[in-house]
Amino acid sequence: MQRRGNPARLVIALSVAAVLAIFLLYTSIAGGTPSLQPSQLPGHHGTVSLGGKVVGPVTGNAHDTPLRFRLRDRSGTASVPVTYHGTVPDLFRAGREVEVDGRLVNGTFVAKPNTLLTKCPSKYGAK
Amino acid sequence: MNGALLIGAVVAVLAVVLVALPFIREPATADDRLAEPGDRGKRTLELSEQRDRALAALKELEFDHRTGKISNEDYRELLGGYRRRAASALRALE
Amino acid sequence: MAELGRAALIVSLGLALYAALAGFWAARNRRRRLADSAGNALLAALGATAVASAVLLSALVRHDFSFTYVASHTSTQLPLGYSISAFWGGQEGSLLLWLLVLTAYGAAAVLLNRRSAPDLVAWTVPVLGAIAAFFAFLLVAVASPFATQTAPAQGAGLNPSLQNPYMLAHPPLLYLGYVGLTVPFAFGMGALLARRTDERWLVATRRWTLFAWTALGVGQLLGAHWAYVEVGWGGYYAWDPVENAALMPWLAATAFLHSVMIQEKRGMLKVWNMLLVILAFGLSLFGTFLTRSGVVNSIHSFTQSSIGPWFLGFICVVVAASLALVFWRLPLLRSKTRLESLVSREATFLYNNLLLVAFCLTILWGVAFPILSELVKGESSTVGRPYYDFFLRTFGLPLLLLMGIGPLVAWRRASLRSLGRTFLWPAGVAVAVGVLLVALGAGSSSPGLIAYTFSAFVLGSIVLEFVRGTRAAGSITQLVSRNRRRYGGYVVHAAIVLLAIGIAGSSAYGSSSSRKLHPGQSMRVGSYSLVYRSLSHVRGPNDLEVRATMDVYHGRKLLGRVYPGKNSYFAEQQVSSEMAIRTDWLRAEDLDVITDQIDPNGTIYFKALVKPLVNFIWLAGVVFFFGSVITLWPDAREERRLASRYALPAEA
Repeated sequence: MQRRGNPARLVIALSVAAVLAIFLLYTSIAGGTPSLQPSQLPGHHGTVSLGGKVVGPVTGNAHDTPLRFRLRDRSGTASVPVTYHGTVPDLFRAGREVEVDGRLVNGTFVAKPNTLLTKCPSKYGAK
Repeated sequence: MNGALLIGAVVAVLAVVLVALPFIREPATADDRLAEPGDRGKRTLELSEQRDRALAALKELEFDHRTGKISNEDYRELLGGYRRRAASALRALE
Repeated sequence: MAELGRAALIVSLGLALYAALAGFWAARNRRRRLADSAGNALLAALGATAVASAVLLSALVRHDFSFTYVASHTSTQLPLGYSISAFWGGQEGSLLLWLLVLTAYGAAAVLLNRRSAPDLVAWTVPVLGAIAAFFAFLLVAVASPFATQTAPAQGAGLNPSLQNPYMLAHPPLLYLGYVGLTVPFAFGMGALLARRTDERWLVATRRWTLFAWTALGVGQLLGAHWAYVEVGWGGYYAWDPVENAALMPWLAATAFLHSVMIQEKRGMLKVWNMLLVILAFGLSLFGTFLTRSGVVNSIHSFTQSSIGPWFLGFICVVVAASLALVFWRLPLLRSKTRLESLVSREATFLYNNLLLVAFCLTILWGVAFPILSELVKGESSTVGRPYYDFFLRTFGLPLLLLMGIGPLVAWRRASLRSLGRTFLWPAGVAVAVGVLLVALGAGSSSPGLIAYTFSAFVLGSIVLEFVRGTRAAGSITQLVSRNRRRYGGYVVHAAIVLLAIGIAGSSAYGSSSSRKLHPGQSMRVGSYSLVYRSLSHVRGPNDLEVRATMDVYHGRKLLGRVYPGKNSYFAEQQVSSEMAIRTDWLRAEDLDVITDQIDPNGTIYFKALVKPLVNFIWLAGVVFFFGSVITLWPDAREERRLASRYALPAEA
């Protein structure tokens, strides 16, 4: 019963093509948000996701007064001052690895509210 | 420490015995061939599967008709083909 | 004792290698006794691995800190249950669990099938042996759980945020799922190697796949519940790479479960099924790799590990080898059956498969994007939540609709006449529900409204199936016991619909509000008013518990009280947020209150969220489990029929 070739193959091929098209469109237009460390910041003007280790002193409470701290490369010395408003995860403290979205404005990284994320520290032990 | 050594030794011995078991049971055997379907057997398997498929499809057709999923006209139209397929699958097996 | 553990693992490695090599030789040269011997080696490997596991378990229970692993994952004050859960908490232990479950599954599969399909099992054994050998090798040479040290006085203990019952259940369930997908893979490859074109391998593995798929599904829902209730950020899924690591194989396995039904009914899609089982297994290995190797940035931090490169290499070898095998045996897999109509149940299953695989691949792309963009652009970029939400809607909504259409369409070719009749009721219900919902204000979110309407359609079609079936069969128990797979499947579909409703409700129709309050002040969220009354400090055995008392009002009526707050743990110097959840059954929504920050003078920054219908998600888990049990339930008649079909003939 060979009708017009094999519809299954055609359906599969067209679907794959359609999916690929949606993919490429979405990821190239919406783009990804670059994930950077402080040393890679200079030169980036748009919104990026900045990751690194928190370096004290940490001031402010992120609600009335901006939370201020420095963020340092995970393995390196380059650091950048950060100001943040919004929810602060419980695990946040100096020495922890965090990630926050925002942009570099006049040498200070101004964070988007409520985008601060802390990595779970190693699961075991007091660190 | 000795307890651990003992357990370790027992485990190792049991493992060896288990692995050697088929050879211990039949040290010399005329027929060491692995049983497999063979060409005729594979053909029979294929035909049995086709038969089961055809019979199951027929059963499902009747069930779908009884539950009202297939209308009377469609049932009459399809029944012939399904019956023929089942019959030829059964015939092929003989 | 540690030497016993190490020795047992070496024995296990040796046995796995024997199973792989001798098994290969035996299958190739058709040697029955050697093939049996190789199969026995897998059984023995289970024994050796069990011994190693017992050693580790006893060390954990005894808090024997001379074991480095025990010292880094337990402490003398740690309750027994969590000391046991440390078995799978660390990298080495979780690898040992993988091996234990793998050898257990492998041994069972061999025992159950070796008499009735010796040639198939003869080829499956070397595949299982090779995979087991890889894990045993890692355990012996790269990441041993039995490293020793001079015992310190105290162990590191377990992070208090992980000391809850979820830690006992979530990881083992996921492992049962991941490892379970090895069995259909091994049998599929075994069938190809044995040049068998029949469905014996599918018959042998159907229940394994279902079981693994169920474990993986329930495990993920438990994880989501854990995130919602314990971690308390108001959500249940963050599209984190580690979460996705479990979702991807589950999606592939879902596709596989459906497409094998097509192969069973129509003898089609044999190549596709092979590719799917390779995808599912590959993704489950990849999931283990992602979770444990630290390669992708994730909130779930697992230490950077030495096993990463080994895993990656192994995955590449497995995928390449299995694809080569499929390609080599391509002529055998060709089937003569063609898709007769684009409007048939086969076709809807095919669309379902395409959508599931497409969704799975988009998640894979999202997970791999940072790594790929780093390679290409020099800096890593992440795709955010919006990416995943977009594709969840693009693929999820049509999938939801298909769940309702599939059962209503006949095999081979559905006439428009029949379609019209069967669609009428469910479509009518859906339209009515849609109109009602718009009147109630659900039009505020188009995807939400579509999700609800589609859900009504699917539920309508499922109810119709049960009603019509019961009428035809006499009673519902008769119906379900004679058609376990079909009606069990419908129950599972109903669970997925509940899941969809829960997700749609809580994400599309929720509300949130943040405010700084002094005692006595109030805030509004959704249709509630929350009044902050007082703050209390209570000392627990190892923590300080700070709780705010908040009255919850609806208009003028006091509905109840909630107590959000934080716990400060002394020993670990950590603070955990304790979100307060108030479930309103009448309004079918959750009110979540989080204390973002508590000032010494009693001022608190609150965040309140309203999540409508979120409890449907957990209900879905229960229904899902129930439906799977029905589908898995043994059917004596079917067993007999299959046994007679595959019984070996008397001739040699």
